[in-house]
Parts: sequence; C-alpha cells; structure tokens
Amino acid sequence: MSLEFKKNQVHFKDMVGVEDAEELLEWLQKTPAAKVDFSACTHLHPANLQVLMAASPSIMVWPADAAFSAWLQSALDQHEDPY
Amino acid sequence: MTPLLEQFLSEARDFLEGIGEKLMQLEDAPGDAELMTALFRMVHTLKGNSGLFDFPEMTRVLHAGEDLMDAVRHEQVEYSQDLADRLLDAMDFVGMLCDEVEAKGSIGAHHAADSARLAESLRRLIASVDAAAAVVAVVASALPNALTETGIVVAEADLPPLVDIPESIRMDAYRQACGGVDLHWLDYTPAADCFFQGDDPFFQARGTPGFLWGSITVRQPWPALAELDAYRCVLEFHLLTTAPREQLDEYYRYVPDQVRMIPVTPLFLALPQGNRNGGPVAYENFVDKALGLLGANQLEDLVLAASNLIELSSLELWLSSALRWLLLVMELEPENRNAFAKIIESLRRQSPPKWTELLPKVTGGNPPAKTELHLSQHSLTPEEAEVMTKMLDVQREILNLPIQENWQLGRIKAVAATLTGCLMASGDVAARAGLEAATAMALEEAASLPLLAWLDQFQQTRSTASVESLVNQADVGVPVPRNLSEIQSDLSADAVRVSDVDAEAKFGRRAEDAGIGPKSLKVDQQKIDRLMNLIGEMVVSKNALPYLAGRAEDVFGVRDLSREIKAQYTVINRIAEEMQDAIMQVRMMPVSFVFQRFPRLVRDTSRKLGKEVNLVLVGEDTEADKNVIEALGDPLVHIVRNSLDHGFEQPDERRAVGKPVAGTLTIRASQESDRVVIEIQDDGKGIDPDIVKRKAYQKGIIDEATLERISDQDAINLIFAAGLSTVDVISDLSGRGVGMDVVRTAVEKVNGAISLESEIGKGTRIRLSLPLSMAVTHVMLIESAGQTFGIPMDSVLETVRVPCASISSIKQSLVTVLRGNIVPLKSINALLAIAAPPQANSDHELAVLVVRCGNEAVGLLVDDFRETVDIILKPMTGVLADIPVYAGSALMGDGSVLMVLNIKELLP
Amino acid sequence: MKRILIVDDAATVRLYHRQILEAAGYKVYEAVNGIEALEKSLQQPFDLYVVDINMPKLDGYGFLRELRSQDIYQAPAIMVSTEAQTSDHQQAFAAGANAYLVKPVKPEQLLIQVKLMIGEARG
Repeated sequence: MSLEFKKNQVHFKDMVGVEDAEELLEWLQKTPAAKVDFSACTHLHPANLQVLMAASPSIMVWPADAAFSAWLQSALDQHEDPY
Repeated sequence: MTPLLEQFLSEARDFLEGIGEKLMQLEDAPGDAELMTALFRMVHTLKGNSGLFDFPEMTRVLHAGEDLMDAVRHEQVEYSQDLADRLLDAMDFVGMLCDEVEAKGSIGAHHAADSARLAESLRRLIASVDAAAAVVAVVASALPNALTETGIVVAEADLPPLVDIPESIRMDAYRQACGGVDLHWLDYTPAADCFFQGDDPFFQARGTPGFLWGSITVRQPWPALAELDAYRCVLEFHLLTTAPREQLDEYYRYVPDQVRMIPVTPLFLALPQGNRNGGPVAYENFVDKALGLLGANQLEDLVLAASNLIELSSLELWLSSALRWLLLVMELEPENRNAFAKIIESLRRQSPPKWTELLPKVTGGNPPAKTELHLSQHSLTPEEAEVMTKMLDVQREILNLPIQENWQLGRIKAVAATLTGCLMASGDVAARAGLEAATAMALEEAASLPLLAWLDQFQQTRSTASVESLVNQADVGVPVPRNLSEIQSDLSADAVRVSDVDAEAKFGRRAEDAGIGPKSLKVDQQKIDRLMNLIGEMVVSKNALPYLAGRAEDVFGVRDLSREIKAQYTVINRIAEEMQDAIMQVRMMPVSFVFQRFPRLVRDTSRKLGKEVNLVLVGEDTEADKNVIEALGDPLVHIVRNSLDHGFEQPDERRAVGKPVAGTLTIRASQESDRVVIEIQDDGKGIDPDIVKRKAYQKGIIDEATLERISDQDAINLIFAAGLSTVDVISDLSGRGVGMDVVRTAVEKVNGAISLESEIGKGTRIRLSLPLSMAVTHVMLIESAGQTFGIPMDSVLETVRVPCASISSIKQSLVTVLRGNIVPLKSINALLAIAAPPQANSDHELAVLVVRCGNEAVGLLVDDFRETVDIILKPMTGVLADIPVYAGSALMGDGSVLMVLNIKELLP
Repeated sequence: MKRILIVDDAATVRLYHRQILEAAGYKVYEAVNGIEALEKSLQQPFDLYVVDINMPKLDGYGFLRELRSQDIYQAPAIMVSTEAQTSDHQQAFAAGANAYLVKPVKPEQLLIQVKLMIGEARG
C-alpha cells in the first residue's frame, strides 16, 4: 500500500500509482484539515497530484529528492513567497 | 546528418589521409619545403572546417597541429621523428572523432581530456621557441546549429515565464548556454484522457533529457472536491532543458502535438528578481557612474564598482540580483556591451531589461518577407548601421593606401562599388550622384583624394543624423546579441591603420605551390550502386526482347515484326553492354586505395617489434572494382602483419646469417587478363614445412600416413587450414591462432584464390588473385523439381549425362566413375530438402553437373541443364539473407526471379 | 538576382557559405582557387566575392590583385580567413579586399556585410 492514512495525515510511500487517486480524493473530502507527508515518496501519478492541488492540504514534509520536491512545490506550495 | 556535416566528414577523411601520406613522405625528405607547405595547408584547412561546427575537442588538437606545422614551415622548429609520431597520433585522434561524429552526430565530452593532452603534447614542441604561443588557450567558437537557429521568439507575449525559475538555476542555465548548449523552454500539455491510456505525463516530464527546472500548473480553476474528476488530466508541465532539439523531439516523439518547444536566447534569462524596496535613489549615482565607465570602456573599473555595491547590499534585493547578472554577463559575454548597458539601465527603473529589443532583425529566416520589409522601409537596423559605420571606416583606410601602380585603381573601383552598395542598402539614394562624380574624378586623377573628400563629407552628415553614443543607443534598444558582437572587433578601425604601409613589400607572397588534389568528381557510392542496379535491370529487361521476337513469330505469326524486334535488340544490346562497361569503369579504383595504409602500418609495426623493414609498393595504379578493392583490405593487412611478425628476423639474426639488416617487404599489384593479382613477398626466414607438418599432425589436421608422404609444398599450404599457426610465440600483433584460414575465407568470398610459396631462409611469397569486377556473374541455369536455379560458372567443371546403370552406391553414397576418377554424387533436391527423386531423361540418363568443391569434384544430380547467362547478382535480403545456401538472386528477362546457389555452402 | 563568387579550397567552407547565402536568396558560384576564380570572373560579372586567403595555385591576395588589375566591373570583395591578426587585415585591404571577416563567419555577420555591399538578394 503506497498510501497510509493516519487520522488527518496521509503518508505517501515510494511510487504512488493512478489507482490510489480515487481513495485519496474520498479521504480528502472527509478530512478538512488534512496533512501530507512526502518524506518516503519517490513518485506519484499526476492523478493524485491533481487531487492534492484541488484540495490544497498542508504539506508537512517534502520529498527527499530535490528535483522531485521542486516539481511538487511548484504545484502545491502556494503560500511561501520566495522574497 | 546535414549535407554540410557530410561534406565536412568526407573532406576531413581525405585530409587525414593526405596528412598521413605527406608525413610519410617527409620522413624521407625532411627538408622538402613544398611538402611542408602542402602539409601545413591541409592541417590549416581541416582546422578551419572543424571550426564551422561545435567540435572544440577536434578544433583544439588541429589548431595545435596547425601552429606546430607553421613553426616547422618557418624553420622555427625542426622536423623530427618524434614530431611526426605526435602529429600522427593527433590525426588518429581526429579520425576517431570523425567516426564518432558520423555514428552519433556529436563528440562525447569525455574526449576533452585526450584532446587537451594531445594539443599540449604538440604545443610543447613549439614551446621552446615561442613561449607565448603555448599559453594561448584555444577557444573554439561555439556555433551550435548556426544555420538552423533561425526561428527566435520575438514577441514579448510569446516569451516563456522565465522569471518563475529561481535565479541560481537561471544563472547555471546561462553559463551552460554560453558554453555552447542549447536551451529550450518546454510546455507539455498532456491530453485530458491520457490517464486512461496508462500514461504518466509527470513521469515523462521528470525524465526529460537535459532537465534543469520544471513546474506544474493547471489549465482551469479547480472545481469543488466533490465534482473533481481525478482521472481527467488538466495539468500542464513546464520545464527548462539543455538537451539538443533532436533529443527532445525524440523523447517526446509520441506526443509531438502536446509539446511546445521554445528556444531560449541565453540573455533572456538575465532577469533580476527580488525585493524592490532597496531605494532606487541610492543607486542613481551608480547607474550614471557605471554608464560612464562603460562609455569610457573602463570595464575593469565597472566590475569593481559593481562588486563593491553588491557587498554593501542585501542579497535579497532586486538591485543586487541585477548586479549579479551584470557581473555574470560581463564575464561570459565580454563583448556584449549593449547587454551591459541594458542591465545597468534596468537598475534605474528596477524593471527587467527588455531583451527582446536586442534581437537581431536579420535572422536569415524568411528572405522574401524580410526583403519586403526592407524595401518598404529602406532603412537599416541599428546593428546594420553600426556595421556600415565600420565598413565606411575600412574603405577610408583602403583609400589611404598609397597608389603606386595602375592596378591599384581597381581597388578604388571596388571601394566605390562598396560605398555604392552601402548607399543603396541605407536608402540614401540622393548621395549617389556625388559619389559617382567623386569616383570619376578619382579614377581620372589616379588618386584617392576625391573619394576621401566625399567620404568625409558623407560621414559627417551621417554621424549627426544617426551615430549616437553607446549609452543612448542602449536606451533606444540598439543591438547585437552575442552573435553579432564580433563584427566590432573584426572591423575595428585600429586593425586597418595602414597609412604608411609599403604595399609593394607585401606582394612577395605569391602562390608558389602546385595544387594538391586531382580534378575529379566525388559521387556518393549509393548513387553508383543505383546506376549499377539500374543497368542490371536494363540488361535483364533487354533480354525480354528475344522472347518477344519469338512470340511475335510463333504465337502471332508476324515474321517481319519479329525480325525488326531482333534488329532493334542488337542495337539496344550493344548500348546496354557499353553502358554496363562504362559504369563498371566508374566503380574501378586503384589498389593504392588499400596500399596507402601500408607505409604507416609497416613503419609502426616494425618499430614496435624492433625490426627494420623497407616497404616497396609496385603497381599501385592497378585498378579493380570498388568492392574487390575493399574486400582486399583486411586480408592484406593480416598478411602484412603476419609477415612482419613472423616472417622477418630480428636485425641481429639477419646480420648473423649475412642478410641485409633491413628486410624488404614488396607488395606488387598487376592485372592478368580479367583478374587482379597481388603479391606480398618478404625476404625473411621463410616457412619450415617440417614444423608445419608436425604441428598439423599434433593438432589432428593430418593423419600419420599423410604426415609421411605429404610434399613440402602441400605441407606449407596446410598453413591455410583452420586452427593452425606456425609460431609458438603469440605476439600481441597477430594475436592468438594467426588464422591464415581467415584470410583464405575472406579471399574466397569474393571469388579470389590465394597461394603461397616459401623457401627456408629466403622468404615467403603470397599471391592473391581476385576478379577485376564482381558485378556480373556468369551462371549456368539448371532445373530440378520444376524449379530453375543458377550455379556460378566458376564452380562448374563440366556437365555430363550419366546412364542410371553407371551409378553405384558405396556406403549409402552414390558415386559414378568419370574418366577413371570416382566422383561422389549428390542429389540437389536432397541438398535443398526437396522431396523429389532426380528425373532421368527418356534415355535413362541422369543429368550430372560436376562442380568444384575445394579441391574435389562433386557431381550434382539435377533434372536438366539449361543455358548460361550473365546476371547481376543481388544479395539476398530479409529472411532469406540468413540462408547461406543462396548466393543471391537475379531478375530474369521474363520477369521471374532466379535464385543462385552457393556451392560451397550447399555441399556439406 | 545578385551573384556571389565563393573562392575557397575547402569544400566544407564553400558549402557553409553557399548555404548561408542561398538561404538569403543570393545566387552562388564557386571556385576552388585563385586561378579558377579569375577565369570565372573574366567569363561573367559577379556582384561580390567571398575569398579565402590560403589556397593552392593562386592564393586570395594574388587573386584579388589580379582581379583588381582587370578591366571589368570591380565588385566588392570580402576576405575570409582564420587569421585574426592586424597584419593580415592590412595585407588583404592592400590587395583589394573591402572587408575582412574571421572564420568561422557567423551567418548574420556575413549577411549584414553582403547586404550593405550589394543590397538584398532581390530588389
């Protein structure tokens, strides 16, 4: 299982495939203050990414891989102003 | 591969060959100035050619070679063996790079170290003489896709949002781009339903080659979560990459319509970013001071001033970002002063430099449209105006040259023509009358003065109108990205200050040397092959005419027509044969093509082995078909290596037996009727038949009985048997199991023969005999089981009809006796796995085609013989190519396809 | 159409210049050394010459001097060479060149020179 739901947190593990998007969407719908942990994530299918972008949960930990993290931040990190 | 690159590679190979040859010749005549000049020119030209491409590794080595040869030519450096060795090494390296370019289209960066090492090794030879030259670092000018790089984005609105990219990454990209890589901004918009097709566009985007930076955006506002369709892709991916366009096209080849690639002009990346609350007022002084320094060309002071200011400013300020860019651009594009001015100007307003204003209007893209533009406006772009100013200055300098001889008036005419051109181009038609008058006067007086006066006046009016200070130009957006920046230096006025030059003195440099290459036409081999195929088809189609004549007479009963067709056939036949002959001639090449590699091979190899060998080449202009010549190459190299390795004795050994210390290797080519014969003869130790015999016996190649009675000549021939090597020591040159059998196989493949004579102590002679041309094959047609096959005539010994009664069987094999010899018989049907017995004729005779198989005669049982024909054999293609029993196929006159059998493969 | 004669012994360089000039609509002719260039110039007028220096038989300087002494239309000439030294510029101008460009010539650079000297390809 690439997605682990713990209370209001979801942990992304390794490669998160297209099939997980449905469940992620359902979970986000019923979890208003959702938090995301990408620390162990190496890739996620863009279907999941779309769901996250639409729901804009807060991101607790970005992925370890810098390039991957930069991609995700461009899509999900709406708050921090670089300057 | 572009035609330009193809041309380059083809020419480069010629030069490399020529350079090797000239070096060899120089070895014998080190003082030959003519050779030296020719050699220099080849290296020089090759270097110039390589500079057209982005091959810094190649250019660097060639440049060093050119400088070295120039020093040798001017007798600053003495020609030596060591020098020749280093140059040959360098040329080998260049040749290797050419191969890589041909195979991959580019040169791998990993060659940089070797390139630097070789260049250094060459330069070290000059260094003692000219210390300064050694320090000169070669900056190969990067000119990536100079010809294709035409479409540059101009409209501001079309520019990708480069400012989204963090500054550090943009700076890195800019550095790389100035180093010669291409930059592309890529927008990737996957299809909405792509998830259903199993695509993962994010994965695709992440894997983009040359990836520097990427971001993801959404095409439309997000709906409420409850209405979100997770499986409808609405994402867009944007990224910056350093991969070449072709590689990107390749990577996104399945979704080309979903990808937009925009080449990024490097300077466009120079967009300052950050907190604008730094107080622009504080910088006003700097802007004015910086522009002043720039105007006064005090660039070092400018760098210093900018660096100082950066240290005083917080890193996050928009202003310090702009200064960082200024320093970087000054470092990487030191000629691009307009760019400096733009960045400095931007500090004043704290608004990004408008780089689009710097784009050249002339991009070579679309000439007709461009022409219209200029026709209607008839004015020059700012950069053109600038070039024109330089050009006028140059003409002034030319006019200032003394006129001592009449021909120099031609120079004045050319200046007048150039000035006229400038007037036309700038639309200043009104000034033409004055120019014409001044020109006429100048020619009449045979003096430049009238034209100089006109030029003075013209430039004065022009400068008030258009020439403004550099700083002001920057404001109106004058010009010149890096590509055009060189013009300034090229045409700079001080480069042409020659007023008191004694022009006469320079004219000693007349072309003194003879030309290099013969006057010939280079034709792609494929074109010749196509001609060859066409004439093949022509020969075959022409053969349909006799069939037609026969049918006209037999089927339709029109005899006259039949006769006319036959008459026409004779004419066409003659022309076709001549044409075939002519095309064969085109394919003929001299054996020197193969021979030319031997001087080097013999030299290097013998040196490595510590032997002394003189090479004598005879009959180099003997010609044969290209394929034959090419097939000769490898076997010959093998034989020569063998001879050097095992044939020749060490010098002291030779001295001991009273032979000349230096051995002689003779390679002789000659033509004997329709075959070309190559002899390779050495005066080495020869082959000892006893050793060969013994080894052959030990390896089980011959049995004991044979060992006893075999003749010396036959024993020596055993050397061609597979798996036999005559030497016990295996050297690094010939490798394990020196296979002369490999040589024999290669020669036989092109219908050649090989023989060997050797005398102990005296030497060895190997003789290769090959057909002059392989293009036309003479075959005999046979029929079996209702099919027609061709058998090459070379292998046919005779055709006989043998009564069934004369065929007996020994140990389940069929044999017959022909003139006292027992001939084994094989059914061709059986060999081809056709389940049909041989058909006898009405006289109960079987048709036997006796063929040669190695040294034996074998009878093939066929159903019937037919005529012999000349065919153009085409190699088998597709699945049939893997079936070795077929030598190839040919089209027949009636349109059918003839399969030609390969006897050697057919018989087990 | 404006006619340009490229004089260079390197086929690659000739092709390179030809591609640039033809793409801009000029009609291009080639000669592989000074002698051939001179022969061609006497047979037909050109609007511009693009001349290499180092060539067999007759080099660029020699060609230009011979050309300038002929009683024909004296079209402008651009000298193109890998040598970037001032003395080479001087020698080129003394021989009859009207501009000097250092190889490899950038396409835009060449085209601007050509345009100024003889105008656009058409028109």
